[in-house]
Amino acid sequence: MSQIVRILALLPVLAALFAASPAYTKGLEVDLSKPDVRLDVSFEGADLLLFGAKDHQGDIIVVVRGPNKDTSIRLKERLAGIWVSTDEVVFEGAPTFYALASSRPVDQLLPADVLLREKIGTDRLGLAVKSAPKDADAATLKNFKDGLIRNMVAQNLYTGDSGIIELIGQHLFRTDLWFPANVHVGGYVIDTYLISDGQIMTHDTTQLAVHKVGIEAEIFSFAHEHALIYGLLAILIAVVSGWTANAVFKKRG
Amino acid sequence: MQIYLPIAEVSVNIFLILGMGGGIGFLSGLFGVGGGFLMTPLLIFIGIPPAVAVGTEANQIVASSISGVLAHFKRGNVDIKMGVMLLIGGVIGSTFGVWLFTFLKTLGQIDLVIKLSYVIFLGVIGSVMFIESVNAMRQSKKAAPPKHKGHNILHGLPFKMRFRRSKLYISAILPVTVGVVVGILSAIMGVGGGFVMVPAMIYLLGMPTAVVVGTSLFQIIFVTANVTVLQSVNNYAVDIMLALLLLIGGVIGAQFGAKAGAKLKGEQLRVLLAMMVLGVCIKIGLDLTLTPDDVYALGTTEGH
Repeated sequence: MSQIVRILALLPVLAALFAASPAYTKGLEVDLSKPDVRLDVSFEGADLLLFGAKDHQGDIIVVVRGPNKDTSIRLKERLAGIWVSTDEVVFEGAPTFYALASSRPVDQLLPADVLLREKIGTDRLGLAVKSAPKDADAATLKNFKDGLIRNMVAQNLYTGDSGIIELIGQHLFRTDLWFPANVHVGGYVIDTYLISDGQIMTHDTTQLAVHKVGIEAEIFSFAHEHALIYGLLAILIAVVSGWTANAVFKKRG
Repeated sequence: MQIYLPIAEVSVNIFLILGMGGGIGFLSGLFGVGGGFLMTPLLIFIGIPPAVAVGTEANQIVASSISGVLAHFKRGNVDIKMGVMLLIGGVIGSTFGVWLFTFLKTLGQIDLVIKLSYVIFLGVIGSVMFIESVNAMRQSKKAAPPKHKGHNILHGLPFKMRFRRSKLYISAILPVTVGVVVGILSAIMGVGGGFVMVPAMIYLLGMPTAVVVGTSLFQIIFVTANVTVLQSVNNYAVDIMLALLLLIGGVIGAQFGAKAGAKLKGEQLRVLLAMMVLGVCIKIGLDLTLTPDDVYALGTTEGH
């Protein structure tokens, strides 16, 4: 009886081994220096080391994508000397974060159609238009798309130039991933490609959670779950501190 | 020293925020304006999302207004009766203003309407106040006689009330109307309206400048407390951690502001406020006319 229990207890471990082994037979293993990105009070952005091993000769491309969100972009035009927001385009499910790193420039590694299919590079995000002005043509939409990417790069949420992947010997590689302080929370996906002779030999997907912890998480969930009490509490804090300041200054004269 | 804000979701420098709160609090205690029209753009400039900037700054103004109003109350510079009349008007006005805002939005170009009305409104108020107070300062050098306002149509209105603190005997319709107009403006522009309310009380109602500041702060408390709750419930946009940092600076600044205000003459106070109003007017004017860095800008999917 106890033996059966022991074997049953081992099952998850065995399952994990089996799950891991196909990745190894693919000839590519990837891991991160930390399993998640924790947004705590002192969060100022996070550095993460991505490292891995491969059993083939070849180059590596790493793509990091943040959670998707509908994103609107507005055009300003000058009318009678005044800048006015005119047209608006909304892109459906644009990634809130996009970072790319590779051991060589990606256009030297893969043909254009494969890069496009795998959405490698900020100019190949494959953004779908959700709403746009009726008269917008392809060139106009491209301008909006470029504008979106420029704005995201300016906020450090998209990498303009791709990062560098260091190849160590024949089998090891590593790269630093940087998450700025304005990252969105949610599930991030890291795709790692092993490339040889202009082909994707194998591919690994790693999940990364970006989440708030400690007091940050508590305040956030309280604000969302008990919004009215939160608002009243905010006023109470304001009243008490206003009163306290006055009392302190009154004593001092 | 950096701190990560749970609702705004950005990392900010603690001392920068404390300093900003202190500066705006000082102006609040000095002029009786909430300071929202200065703080909101400042917060957005340092990277706080616009919705969070508006909601949080309302919460901070509650604190600095209370701090300031208590300091003014001690000097007998708060006309509660007048404040309540303005508030009644304010509630009616802001309710109508929210409806008007939604209506203008369906017509499109609401942003432009808001900014243009800002420029025109602030430009006129600022210029008139500047000219008037400079003239008053010149005259006051030769022992200023107390000004008596001439009787006009406004004094013939019914529902007359005595406002002892303000030394006025006027129709209640006047402060309620001022409250309505400011309420509409603050709902559309998304600010407390102190910088509109203060000149209106001085020039339209004829209240003494010292009483105006305290009374304005009194009614701002209620307006901003209302905004704080609405923003918390509807948009989850109040960042309590940011508010706490801002109001520590704010309540202290407001005390110094109220003290500094007591040392200044009415016309000196008005000329400084006029310069500030004109400064904001010029800033918004430049925003409208200068070429932006990038003609494409991220919008919010939720709308304004």
